[in-house]
Amino acid sequence: MLSYLLATLTFAGVYALLALGLNVIWGMAGMINLGLAGFFALGAYASALATVALGLPIALGIVIAIAAAALAGALLSRLTLNLRGDYLAIVTLGFGEVIRLIAANEIWLTNGSDGIPGIPGPFRGALTPLQFNALSCGLLLLAVALAWFLTERLRRSPYGRALRAIRDDETAAAVAGKPVRLYKVQAFAIGAGLLGLAGAAYAHFTSYVAPDIFRPLLTIYIFLALTAGGTGNTSGAVLGAFLVIVILEGSRFIEPMFHGMSGAQGAALREIIIGSVLIFVMRIRPEGLLAERPPKPVEP
Amino acid sequence: MHSLNRRVFLGTAAAALSAPAILKAQSDAIKLGSLTPLTGVGGTYGPSMRDAISGVIAQVNEAGGVLGREITLVSEDTQTSPEAAVRAARKLIDVDGVSAIMGTWASSITTAVAPLAWESQTMLLCVSGADSITQLPHQGFICRTQPNSKLQIRVAGDFMVEEGATQMAWIGPQTPFAASSIEILEEIAAANGAGMESLIYEADKSTYRSEVDQILVNNPDFLMLGGYAADSTVLLRDIWQSGYEGKIIGPAYAVNQTVLDALPPEVTENVFTWEGAPAIDSGAYANVQAILGVEDVDPYSAQTYDHASLAILAMAAGGDVTGDTIRQNIRAVSQGEGQMVESAVDGLAGLEGGINYSGASGPCDFDEIGDITGTSFVFKQISGAAAAEFKRV
Repeated sequence: MLSYLLATLTFAGVYALLALGLNVIWGMAGMINLGLAGFFALGAYASALATVALGLPIALGIVIAIAAAALAGALLSRLTLNLRGDYLAIVTLGFGEVIRLIAANEIWLTNGSDGIPGIPGPFRGALTPLQFNALSCGLLLLAVALAWFLTERLRRSPYGRALRAIRDDETAAAVAGKPVRLYKVQAFAIGAGLLGLAGAAYAHFTSYVAPDIFRPLLTIYIFLALTAGGTGNTSGAVLGAFLVIVILEGSRFIEPMFHGMSGAQGAALREIIIGSVLIFVMRIRPEGLLAERPPKPVEP
Repeated sequence: MHSLNRRVFLGTAAAALSAPAILKAQSDAIKLGSLTPLTGVGGTYGPSMRDAISGVIAQVNEAGGVLGREITLVSEDTQTSPEAAVRAARKLIDVDGVSAIMGTWASSITTAVAPLAWESQTMLLCVSGADSITQLPHQGFICRTQPNSKLQIRVAGDFMVEEGATQMAWIGPQTPFAASSIEILEEIAAANGAGMESLIYEADKSTYRSEVDQILVNNPDFLMLGGYAADSTVLLRDIWQSGYEGKIIGPAYAVNQTVLDALPPEVTENVFTWEGAPAIDSGAYANVQAILGVEDVDPYSAQTYDHASLAILAMAAGGDVTGDTIRQNIRAVSQGEGQMVESAVDGLAGLEGGINYSGASGPCDFDEIGDITGTSFVFKQISGAAAAEFKRV
């Protein structure tokens, strides 16, 4: 049971990193990024290839993953600077699918839909599964804490204020002299870097990546997490990610309480519960569990 | 609307969700896990795969259990997604402590769950066909009842040549077996002086006309489909509309009854299908028919019936209920000189004298890396939207 809780907490940590990354891009800067799974995949594959194919240490693989995802994020946002709202959403969704299709078809590089098994984890093999889960959980929570701290600092800084201005009215921000285009590219790159970090963490924890993992369903879960937690609120992103995992995993334990259901009925019931709880949360807290509150101005 | 305090809400929710887990941890039954696709792409097969396992367990419990203990089935849904399947497998292993996980279907899911299984010494019995699965460093903790894809394609390729193919073609989406399928067909074509073309397309499209035009450029006379049911439905329609007059063969899971019902009969007329033949004349197959209450048992449910029977018999033979016991004894009950048995209940009765389990999906003999050997195949031909047996090899 303990091992399961630790593993679940680790997955929650991965979701929290994804939600924090999305929070910078969408919550703070207002750019809809439906290609989240693509950046997640990019990070996962970059770190997997660096450690498996090139034999580099895990820490270096993670750095490469963050850099690769951030670079891709900067390029994508530079290309889509003039797109907003729905149009940006469609392009980023397309980007996510392109990454998944490249992973499925460039067999020489990614091993195709077989995926890459045997990705090393820190001290995996030397530890029992329980110890490994405990270590992964600790490392992930540390990473989430660090990411939370840094993005919260970002949010409270004048830079964060400029991002909010861009989100709320791009033209007004430009008139006020803010370098809108530069800031948008930077924010997208920072957020994408966090998504890449989440991907690398997932790859080293589960030891396997394959194109099937990066289907758009994951993107939906993270949008749900951020919306339920509170868009634009750093703590809300983390809370929302943990809430989504609690609902996803907790619903498993409700099914056995209803006896005499067939397998398909049980699975359907679980999906109904997941959907209903999220609707319920959004009904009672439309602005998210933790609403965004602009930081108080600092007294001179 | 803010009268429901956030902390109270979260606290109550967490307590409500964890209560059943505490109750469950107290029972003393042997636990076996079913991890089938109940929703998603594999959702057509998962429910009956699970029911087959559940039927075997019910029969054994009725006959007094194994090693004097009852067996309970814990069932989880893979959602046909490796990410969700890994979380489900963690729950089966860490919370329920199952000795075996049975019925993983898609190859990417089996590969994702595999390291969890061998690290925690849990047996993994799967129906996935990708060649790479049994080549993982699984230390014996994986056995599969599905013939690997190389064997399946080789059998079908030989069939195409026997049926007079001179210009073969393969068309399908990117899957773990796409590349090896093409390679094997090229080998077979070269050895028999036939031509061979191939085309990989993107799954989930609503039309494949340009792909069909492209694959028909060299006038093939025998086409092999490499996809699943959804894309094969569209593909068969487009091939028919193109006026192609040669022969077509597709795996039975792709050209299944749902596909035949969805298309006009003239589109699927004379199309061949093939699959690992369930042992339809065996007592085991009759038993699965009775459990599921159906006439035609799909190959995957036949296989999971065998998974459950083998796991139970291996535990009984080893005198313990761990995954390691199953690993060490599965070959002792599945192959060898013993008396042939076709159900877990018969096997438990005859265990002392030595048994050789022969199941609903075939003889169930495994080689040293966990691949199934000695599977026979059945070829069928469609006529009037129904598949009729054509040949067995």
